[in-house]
Amino acid sequence: MFDGLIAFGHSIWSFAEPLSLGLVMLSSLVGVIIGALPGLTATMGVALMTTLTIKMPSNQALLVLICTYVGAIYGGSRSAILLNIPGTPASAAACLDGHQLAKQGLAGRAMGIATSGSVLGTLIGMFFLAWFTPILGNLALKFGAFEFFWLALFGVIIAGTLTGNDPLKGWIAGMIGIFSAAIGQESIYAYDRFTFGIRDVSGGFQLVPALVGAFGFAELLMAVRERPVPVKINPFDSVIPRLKDVTQYWRTILRSGIIGTFIGILPGVGEDVAAWSSYAAAKRASKEPEKFGKGSIDGLMAAETGDNACVPGAVIPVLTLAVPGSAPAAVLMAAMLIHGVRPGPMIMVESPQFVYDVVAMMMYATIGILIYGLTLTKLLIKVLMVPKPVILPIIFVLCVVGSYAISQRMFDVWVMLGFGVLGYALRRLEYPVAPLVLGMVLGDLMEKGFRRGLVLSDGSLEPFFTRPISAAIWITIVVVIALKIPGLGERIVGMFRRGNPKATG
Amino acid sequence: MSDHVYPASPRADLVGALVWVALGTLIVVASWRMDRLVEQGATIHTAPGLWPGMIGTLLAALGGALVLRSLRRARRIGWDAAEPDDTDYVPLQRFLLAAGLFFVYALLLVGKGLPFWLGTSLFVTVFVYLFQLAQRRAAAQRVRGVVVALACGVLTALIVTLVFERIFYVRLP
Repeated sequence: MFDGLIAFGHSIWSFAEPLSLGLVMLSSLVGVIIGALPGLTATMGVALMTTLTIKMPSNQALLVLICTYVGAIYGGSRSAILLNIPGTPASAAACLDGHQLAKQGLAGRAMGIATSGSVLGTLIGMFFLAWFTPILGNLALKFGAFEFFWLALFGVIIAGTLTGNDPLKGWIAGMIGIFSAAIGQESIYAYDRFTFGIRDVSGGFQLVPALVGAFGFAELLMAVRERPVPVKINPFDSVIPRLKDVTQYWRTILRSGIIGTFIGILPGVGEDVAAWSSYAAAKRASKEPEKFGKGSIDGLMAAETGDNACVPGAVIPVLTLAVPGSAPAAVLMAAMLIHGVRPGPMIMVESPQFVYDVVAMMMYATIGILIYGLTLTKLLIKVLMVPKPVILPIIFVLCVVGSYAISQRMFDVWVMLGFGVLGYALRRLEYPVAPLVLGMVLGDLMEKGFRRGLVLSDGSLEPFFTRPISAAIWITIVVVIALKIPGLGERIVGMFRRGNPKATG
Repeated sequence: MSDHVYPASPRADLVGALVWVALGTLIVVASWRMDRLVEQGATIHTAPGLWPGMIGTLLAALGGALVLRSLRRARRIGWDAAEPDDTDYVPLQRFLLAAGLFFVYALLLVGKGLPFWLGTSLFVTVFVYLFQLAQRRAAAQRVRGVVVALACGVLTALIVTLVFERIFYVRLP
């Protein structure tokens, strides 16, 4: 335990110099603005900053990306409260009560609550990141090809189940993502699959352009399709967080922080699910549930704590299993690989200091959002007033530049366009996009696990089902799918209710 | 089966589902026809087509499940029943114009020999001008509209070039 504290102290000290502190303030600011602007998601913000920081030393680059990520998730609450438009999907829950408070002339108080919830949520998540990563890292050393196959499949299935309203469509989106990852040269014989003779396709689709397309360009097309809403911001009170709000709602903060962190650990699920889950739990536990949706401080606190706690949570599986806990975490993982960091089970063996560096980066990001939460309101309002016809083409320029800059190929720009059109079409047909992206990220891991497993077992499928960790994961997958099959799911829940003497109905 | 009304109608779901069934089937056929690489020592377990074939099968199966669900829902609630959508959409022509400008910029104005700053200035200027035109006309501010659009275009090109190429040494198209 003391080794960990000493390592954490080293990390904090290593970033306590002018250049790093300057990068923290700048990238947190960029993140908050990106998060506040509807049409720009945290995923896209982290992807764009990945290309901007490609030539920087790895620690500085990752510091910038983590501060952007934390800032963007926090920044979404600004437009949610002031405009009733979530800046990022993670802030949709904050709209419900945040904007109601703003309509009552309490926008400043709402922003103060969002600031305190976000800061405390990130701190709670940070605690679990520091504590849980070594534990999960040790467990991950027991994972072999079979376990990684099931884990990757679990990630896609759970992302499809929990994001959006329709698990069947989520699983279909996941399969499309897994198939996209299979396009190009396969890993054993370098055989070209589905390349149609196009040389650029042999290398497959790069993750960053695909993410920029699916989350950036698709979002732009959605924004263009909808008529802009006139921006009207009511006068508001002080934005300084009140200690009373923290002490009165400490249970909500702790509960939401834990929920948010553990939802972040689930592959691909992300901050919006964390926010809604925390909100729902707070409503169930509240003595005044009827106030939720009408300006409940409890509700707003829960949503903002949950979504920010998810950020460190989503980084835990990145570091230990090389499996992202959310879409922005997927970009972060891609950035780590670009900068030569190898996330995965060996991280606690090869570079344990890096884990504490990430915890320190989260801490600095938290300080950044606290400072901007107290000071940035007037500037943010000016940014939110910029008309859509001006913002949209600028964002698209950044999408093109961001896609091109990774490998300096126009092909990546075409990939961005293609995934943007696909992402837009899927969203219009009510398919969630997160499983598509997670399928792309995990498809390679899944295939390698499957093929290596077959080679190791000489073609036998038995180890896939009988090894203990594999068994635990595939049984969980079966239960998750079964619960969502109409008729069967209700019967399973009914069986548990009948077996529980306390259950009613 | 619940009568839950989803945001997308059964008809839209059926069309999508048929696309997935067709795509999945094509993937399976193409995977089956892939070289087995026996001369390189590949077995059925390491054949390149095994994995995409499995994914294609799953995609077709899930598409099939969606076909069945769409048919059942349509029988109960009608082909076009969907959650009401109260989003205020712009006319389709406006959307197509914007999408067209995006594609023209990405496919023709950058990476084709035109300097990045020129292509970007042109794109942003034209976009801002066209999409604020109605508003500027109504307020009798057409000249101001041109000036604002030009300023947005030039500033965007300058700042992006400065930040990406000069400060962060990232090559632009």
